[in-house]
Amino acid sequence: MKNRMQETFDRIATGLKVLFALLALAIAGVPAAARDTLYPDLASQWRNPTAGRGGNPWDPNKPMGLGQQAPLTAEYQAKFEASLKAQKEGGQGSSRGSTCEIAGMPKMMNFAEPMEIVIRPKVTYFIPMQVPARRIYTDGRDWPADEPPTLGGYSIGKWIDQDGDGRYDVLEVETRNFTGPRVFESTGLPLHEDNATIVKEKIYLDRNNSDILHDEITTIDNALSRPWTVDRIYLRVRVPLWIEKNCHESNPHLTIGREEYFLSADNKLMPVRKDQPPPDLRHFKQPQ
Amino acid sequence: MTFRCAIGRSLLGALLWTAVAVVSGSAETFPDFESQWRNPASDRAGWDPSKPAGSAQQAPLTPEYQAIFEASLRDQAAGGRGNNYQSSCVLDGMPRLMNLVAPMEILIQPGLTFFIFKNAFARRIHTDGALMPAGEPPSYQGYSTGKWVDEDHDGRFDVLEIETHNFKGPRALDASGLPLHKDNQTLVKERLFLDKNDKDILRNEITTIDKAFTRPWTVGKNYQRVHNPRWSEYHCQPPSNAVFIGLDEYRLGPDGRLMPLYDNQPPPDMRYFKPPQAR
Repeated sequence: MKNRMQETFDRIATGLKVLFALLALAIAGVPAAARDTLYPDLASQWRNPTAGRGGNPWDPNKPMGLGQQAPLTAEYQAKFEASLKAQKEGGQGSSRGSTCEIAGMPKMMNFAEPMEIVIRPKVTYFIPMQVPARRIYTDGRDWPADEPPTLGGYSIGKWIDQDGDGRYDVLEVETRNFTGPRVFESTGLPLHEDNATIVKEKIYLDRNNSDILHDEITTIDNALSRPWTVDRIYLRVRVPLWIEKNCHESNPHLTIGREEYFLSADNKLMPVRKDQPPPDLRHFKQPQ
Repeated sequence: MTFRCAIGRSLLGALLWTAVAVVSGSAETFPDFESQWRNPASDRAGWDPSKPAGSAQQAPLTPEYQAIFEASLRDQAAGGRGNNYQSSCVLDGMPRLMNLVAPMEILIQPGLTFFIFKNAFARRIHTDGALMPAGEPPSYQGYSTGKWVDEDHDGRFDVLEIETHNFKGPRALDASGLPLHKDNQTLVKERLFLDKNDKDILRNEITTIDKAFTRPWTVGKNYQRVHNPRWSEYHCQPPSNAVFIGLDEYRLGPDGRLMPLYDNQPPPDMRYFKPPQAR
């Protein structure tokens, strides 16, 4: 009985804290100190520990490619295997990386390069090093009717105080309204070409280590026979270094017509497969 | 009684919390920069928005860099890109980035201010007083340190002063290819502040100190606040018929074969391909 009363008191206390917090935000125009006490501490740089180790698997607990055991439909399993075969022969398959196009959702949450998170009451920003920022709208808006579809989609989020301590601890996000083509990882693991993907995320700090950020990502897509959930992890870097990296400059892949080539370190064309002929230079006056 | 005590404690705690938040709110010292900002000038405008693009900019170039600039203008008139590397998606870098050919958003944090661009990577302005870390690699955007200034002594910052250095290149100031020195020793100084009469205008006084110039060159840029912003997705892609091999540009012909961009352009170097008899 006493415990139940205590629970009731605690709930009232939490409710009052949140109520007065909101009142304070309204009066003070969301001061930084209030933000700091209402939202989790996600400051500093976050890195994907699986990036830069010769691959970036979508499910970080499994090897890339077929090892992912993705729940693909038979049709999309065949497309995936065709991509793997093309890559084995020196091509790019379904991977879009060589075009330097934005990866789009959900692959962009792979974060091959580090990112930073900035929280504002109405928007949470994921600010990566290599691509434009991702905005998650947390102002309670509905899906816009006339938003053009994009590779990154449109993200609406909601902050949750899951443990009732008066401070938010989980950001739930839903992302829709896509264009394509998009893949999960550089092996070409495909998403459906109808672009009707829905991506749901739960983003929160690890309970035992606040320098670990979890992003539980569930992808619902017609290329998949069931929703596919993976737990991606980012590690906090307290003394970050930010290195500018432009895909177009560091991209060694080049396509001329339908042929793929490679750019050498000294910026000269190279073949991507054994005995590949050079491009046809008949339009030049003095072919070498 | 216990219930009353508990509620009392809760109310007291909540009121204290509110007081702290409101007091900290009154100590909020940064100006109202957090918004979407657009440059109303066109993307073909020159670096100095008060003058036409090209030679009319009257840039204080040294004779050597005036000649480089004029060569760029001639190349562009002939269909080339001159010193404007944007078509191959090389980053604009500083100070050209602050032309804002696409919208920008500003986010202010106590030690770090972000400039988030639609068409470029975010720019970080370090306002924590720390020097640039040793070993910081040079970049197109450079390394920016800033200082908030309360110029009118009203207890609230109103000017953000920024210095940016540690560059790599090539960089140009605008689409005409107005060049910066290839030694990349540029120093860019900025002063950002809201217009005194119109808080929806953000002014940026940019002074560029560079060995391509005979003197520091200061221009003023105005950005317009957008109250209900929308953000579209953008990612630089070269023209579909352009082929870049290093910094050399070629064209893709209708037949899918490589073509020269201009008369007598030599073909790319094919030294890494085996001759036909060796394949």
